[in-house]
Amino acid sequence: MKTRDDILVGLLITVAVVVTVVGSLWLARGGLSKGYPLYAKFPWGAGLKQGQPVLLVGVNVGYVDEVDLHMDGILVTTMRIGKNYNVPLTSKAAVIPNGIFGDMAVALTPSRPDPHSFKPGDTVPIGPSTPGITELTSKADSVMRSVNAITLALQQEMVASGGIRDLRNTIGATNHLVSEFASIAAEQSRQLSATMTSLRRATGAIDPVKVDSTVSNLRTASANMAAMSADLRATSGKLDVILAKVDSGNGTAAKLINDPGVYNDVRLLLQRMDSLVADIKKNPKRYINVSVF
Amino acid sequence: MSRDALGFFRKVGERGYFMRDIGRAFSDPRTYGPEIVRQMRNIGVDSLPLAAIVAAFIGAVTAIQTRYQLFGGVQLSVVGLISRQSIILELGPLLTGLVLTGRVGARITAEIGTMRVTEQIDALETLAYDPVAYLVVPRLIAALVMLPVLTILADAIGVLTAMVTALVATDLTAADFTAGLRLSFTPFQIVYSVIKATIFGGAIAFFCSYEGYTANVGAEGVGRSTAQAVVVTSVAILVLDALTAVLLAPYLQA
Repeated sequence: MKTRDDILVGLLITVAVVVTVVGSLWLARGGLSKGYPLYAKFPWGAGLKQGQPVLLVGVNVGYVDEVDLHMDGILVTTMRIGKNYNVPLTSKAAVIPNGIFGDMAVALTPSRPDPHSFKPGDTVPIGPSTPGITELTSKADSVMRSVNAITLALQQEMVASGGIRDLRNTIGATNHLVSEFASIAAEQSRQLSATMTSLRRATGAIDPVKVDSTVSNLRTASANMAAMSADLRATSGKLDVILAKVDSGNGTAAKLINDPGVYNDVRLLLQRMDSLVADIKKNPKRYINVSVF
Repeated sequence: MSRDALGFFRKVGERGYFMRDIGRAFSDPRTYGPEIVRQMRNIGVDSLPLAAIVAAFIGAVTAIQTRYQLFGGVQLSVVGLISRQSIILELGPLLTGLVLTGRVGARITAEIGTMRVTEQIDALETLAYDPVAYLVVPRLIAALVMLPVLTILADAIGVLTAMVTALVATDLTAADFTAGLRLSFTPFQIVYSVIKATIFGGAIAFFCSYEGYTANVGAEGVGRSTAQAVVVTSVAILVLDALTAVLLAPYLQA
């Protein structure tokens, strides 16, 4: 009896210990095999913790084994990758949301297929992280706050301050204005139609023969005007030559215009003639002596 | 100071003396040593079916309740996560402790109480045996060892039952459940469960032994002590569970 108790108790304790060890290993590592380590350096606040899955193009290939906080703003994350999986060398690691409860996963995404793969202990470069539910919620919160503020402002402006009433009045006035515009447009259209009719009638009344004759006369007049213009141009040229000669000071006319001596002589001559005429009027007998016999 | 307060402190003091007696009795391994394995059998091995049945049903109910409480859009792996956390951190140790309070604690009180009222304990003292070393210490050691053992097995059975139930009775896949089961798991969660179970085992053995050791004369006294032992131990387990959670929960934060 005593031996049987010993065996049963020992068996129970052994089973419990085995369950503890194997269960912990299975839960923490996914099995007795730990996989090979790969590292990634994420910035603080990536939301990573031990046990989160590591996905290679969406397939669960490992788990986050350790997250070391470094005071330079980096979380050195140790990932354990199953030994039967190779991570292509072109892969980048990113923290992506896993579900809607804010849980995260590490996604390894190769830019293209690559026969070469990371070796155990390598560090996978990081790519851009997808915003998690926390960031999205925060964005949604800020958007909602803005919408609330806008709604409140609209409510105050449109309802409390009588904006809707003003808007309704404005719309009514606009409708009235539009109806007036419509009546004016209708009147204008009617008048325009009448004008067009008159114009069409006047156009129909024009005699084409007279029009041709008039055009022919206009063409002749235009030719005459062109000839006269040519004559005027020639005359103008000649006048230019004369004026050039006058400006040069050669010739009688030029000297008459340009020589101040001639001007003075003419002025003196006119003065003497004035005094002579005055003297003749004063003493006509001195100059005029009429004798009949 | 009121009579009730004085009575409370008196009871605390009496249990303090009893604890001191237990401490002294540990120095007499020749008395309690041979009894330990037998008590382990009584407390641990014989309680395994009951603990397993309770754990199995708790696991199944937890999985089903969790699945049908999820609203649309929530990933199904949450069922595995919540089942694991509920069973390992709370339900496994607590329900195992409460169940063993009824099965083992009542038995301890009744055994020791009967020995008290039939003056067998007095006879042990007459024979120069330390009754605390012979009756209490083996049960205390056995409970301290076997409660964690039973709790670990209950945790495992509960989680397995939850998984089987989730796969059979709901739309979960094995991949969904195991993904949640492994999410944010740390070995300290097992340690936490074991710590709780050890504390509960000590509480069961201590309070139930004390009630039996101080049982009043007569069959009615044994019955009253047994009922009181179950009530006191159950309340003590709940209080200790809360205290443990307050003290150790920060270390569980992943």
